[in-house]
Amino acid sequence: MNLRILLVLIIGSILIFQGCASKGTELNNSLSQQEVSKANDPFEKVNRAVFSFNIIFDKIILRPIAITYKAVVPSFVRNRITYSLNNLSMPITAVNNLLQGELRKAGVSTSRFIINSTVGLLGFFDPASSMGLVTETEDFGQTLSVWGVSSGPYLVLPFLGPSNPRDFAGLLSTSLLDPMYQIGGGSAPDSLRTYRLGTGAVDFRSQNIEILDDLQNNSIDYYAAIRSFYSQGRESQAASNLEIDSSEQENDIFDDFEIDESYVGPDIEISYD
Amino acid sequence: MTKIIFHIYVLLLCFSFNLTVLASNFTEEENFVTSFADSAISILSNDSLSDDERTSSFTELVMSSIDLNLISKFVLSKAWKNASDEQKEAYLIAFKDYFVSSYANRLDQYAGEKVDVVGSQEAGKYVIVESNIIREGTDTLKINLKWRLLNKDNQIKIIDLNIEGISLVIAQREEFQSFLSNNDYDLDKLIEKIVSVSD
Repeated sequence: MNLRILLVLIIGSILIFQGCASKGTELNNSLSQQEVSKANDPFEKVNRAVFSFNIIFDKIILRPIAITYKAVVPSFVRNRITYSLNNLSMPITAVNNLLQGELRKAGVSTSRFIINSTVGLLGFFDPASSMGLVTETEDFGQTLSVWGVSSGPYLVLPFLGPSNPRDFAGLLSTSLLDPMYQIGGGSAPDSLRTYRLGTGAVDFRSQNIEILDDLQNNSIDYYAAIRSFYSQGRESQAASNLEIDSSEQENDIFDDFEIDESYVGPDIEISYD
Repeated sequence: MTKIIFHIYVLLLCFSFNLTVLASNFTEEENFVTSFADSAISILSNDSLSDDERTSSFTELVMSSIDLNLISKFVLSKAWKNASDEQKEAYLIAFKDYFVSSYANRLDQYAGEKVDVVGSQEAGKYVIVESNIIREGTDTLKINLKWRLLNKDNQIKIIDLNIEGISLVIAQREEFQSFLSNNDYDLDKLIEKIVSVSD
């Protein structure tokens, strides 16, 4: 797609959703006098529908693949794959480090990529970490948050899962900004893209089979659980980018609620079956 | 030009090796987490225990280390204050069973992970102890865990566990709030649901 059109689309969608977001917040403020911690989810009905679709997709395609992958591929190899995916995300991480003004981190990301791609045998090993070169992966959604763009309302995307306008815009721009996709421009970057998208999904899913199964079985409201996990995870990444201690934000929530000590409750016997 | 870029890289490399060390001020709390993790691991890795024995010793350890009463009230949020005494009692019993059932079936999945305490800090009236779980078979794939502890009357209790930036207690609270807001804020319906899920 033409680069300029895409950029206009992205910036446009951010502005529109920013508008929605602030409207949503006003609405929430007036409503939430009675309620505590209402999630920013004005499109909940649509989101829940897409979420149900994604669960079916996961059930019949992604989860079976992930289970087979975990059963067939030894953990040593699976760990190599995780490392190689991490390594492939280092160039875009370095770009985002620069866009966030993090010169030192950009140095770490670049050095990691160079060392692990060579000494680390195409990224399947991670000698850089043992040399003290440790960094988090960064995406453009995080850069936008450093630039002060707020996340906007929660969105569930078909196939891709939990997101929000800011992270979705970040996802779209990643292919423009990622040096891995700009090199050559021939078929090699395409196969890289496929490797990262496909293998990345399976790698992530295979690491979370038991967790997600448990969560689905034990949830009072699975949709709300995933929404909370996603929003909290992204918020804490944003906080760490801005070098804010995310536990401070949590403190507010924990302190906000005054514990009613007057009712102690019954002495409960626990049954463990 | 290439030479300049190379020099910049070398410079960046030098900067990158700056290792930061976390200050550790709360030895007592850190030791609490270490000993809790050690006890948990020794129960989980004890093959001579039957599944039931393992669940009951693990539950005993967890119940003596967390403030379940406080957590139960916190996750219910405002609804706790508006509840009748009968509802409170029914809810506390249901939530305890629900809590135990959330881990009871996965205790056999322990695969040799270790918990390394890396530091601690004050957070309001709480102390947060930070630790890492190292993924088995690697030395660098880590999961970050933050334990929110409350030291009340010289008794340390776990209030929350934060995994990679996700607070389990806050997630539970948002889940309950969402259920309530989709069910006319009917606490009895929530209690019913909690009971049905933990069965």
